[in-house]
Amino acid sequence: MSARQGLAGSPLRLVSDRGPVSARFSDQLIAVLPRLRRFARGLSGSVSDADDLVQAACERALARQHQFQEGTRFDSWMFRIVQTIWIDQVRSRDVRKEDGDIAEDRLGSDEPVRRVEARLALDEVRRALDRLPPDQRTALLLVTVEGLSYKETAEIVQVPVGTIMSRLSRARIALQLQLEAAPEGRRSTKDAAAQ
Amino acid sequence: MQQRSDDRLIAYLDGELEMGRRREVEAWLDTDPAARQRMAALAEATRLLRRALDETIHEPVPDRLIAAARGEAAPRQSSAHILPFRGRLGAQIAERRPWWIGLPVAASLFGLLVGSGIAYLGVGKLAQDGVAGRQAAFEATAANNLWLDNAAGYFKLAVSAGDSPPVDIPATEDPREALQKISQSLPQEVRLPNLKPWGLNFRGARLVVEGGRPAAALVYTTDNKAIGPLSLIIGSSKQPDISPTFDRRQDVNLLYWRHQGRAYALVGQADIGYLWGIANDIAWQLDAV
Repeated sequence: MSARQGLAGSPLRLVSDRGPVSARFSDQLIAVLPRLRRFARGLSGSVSDADDLVQAACERALARQHQFQEGTRFDSWMFRIVQTIWIDQVRSRDVRKEDGDIAEDRLGSDEPVRRVEARLALDEVRRALDRLPPDQRTALLLVTVEGLSYKETAEIVQVPVGTIMSRLSRARIALQLQLEAAPEGRRSTKDAAAQ
Repeated sequence: MQQRSDDRLIAYLDGELEMGRRREVEAWLDTDPAARQRMAALAEATRLLRRALDETIHEPVPDRLIAAARGEAAPRQSSAHILPFRGRLGAQIAERRPWWIGLPVAASLFGLLVGSGIAYLGVGKLAQDGVAGRQAAFEATAANNLWLDNAAGYFKLAVSAGDSPPVDIPATEDPREALQKISQSLPQEVRLPNLKPWGLNFRGARLVVEGGRPAAALVYTTDNKAIGPLSLIIGSSKQPDISPTFDRRQDVNLLYWRHQGRAYALVGQADIGYLWGIANDIAWQLDAV
């Protein structure tokens, strides 16, 4: 199916310099944006970097919409694009930020400040996530946060299922150990959960 | 050795084990307090991770991303460029696609959410009593499986009913009214999670009874075929808390969990990824995990 034909039964709109974009394709993309942002936030560790990452993924997806195969999972396809772009960024530049910068960036979101202790504890969780190697972080986010199966995650990352299992195991154990080493954060989170 | 043990527990926690191996792990957890403790720690770390990233789901999607998804040129950073799009993703999805109506929840769902996770979190004390503990765990697992079978069966019946979801209390313009009415029949007040960011519209509530306890079945529909109709069951439970646990009956997916005396289940045919996201959203809104 060519990009000009668009998806079956889907009207086309002519847009800027990217050629026709099917409304249905855009609808699918918009529907998955919140999850893409969450995934990107977990990967990049920053609000602004995550949105830049998602925007770049949208642009790439539109440019390659003809490559998407109907009947396959659209969200998995998008996760793969986000992950690929992020890995490229990691390889081309050291995008890791100092912990303080990350926390400040996150706390700078529009959400009103509330339950400060709980937020600090959750920031500790995010920092623990940021300390994981990129491949472990990706596997952990796709399986535990996005709820994908090992097989689906392996297809996105393009490694064997056994590799995903290994990365996941190391990531979960490392995350748990880091959280155990942050008793203040744990206590605060439990307090918040009890509210 | 510890690594192998962790691998088994993690695969169990992720719902990646087949039934036979799953039962082996449950039997192991039933008799090994250290393994139960290890499982609980892994589950807690997972719960914290999900919670740490949940807020992203609730934030309005920036216009520049919606513009990018529509193929409109937009600056990478927010600027004075004005884009003719609505700011809320939910409103867009909700208005766009009338597709399918109808998901009643049927009777008889909740109460005995004991299941696979019970072994590591719930039956610890019972297990100290050897055979009696194992028997209790077995019965709890069987009851949970029966409940899941029923939930999936009723769901499919409801879906096949088409455009007339059988709800006892239909949603009015103010859906809180429906919740107030059904809460009068329940031991605890039921709050309504707003799932409009997912394009899900509240259609009404139904009072169901399971295990001798009343529960509320909240019915949501959407015109988004990728998600489809969903039901959220909120009941009470005296069983220990468990993290969201995935199960499947044919083409029906279920996520169920317990938190502070309440039992929850999200039932639908959406991909598990969507269910996880929506369940995270519900838990965040209701402080339910």
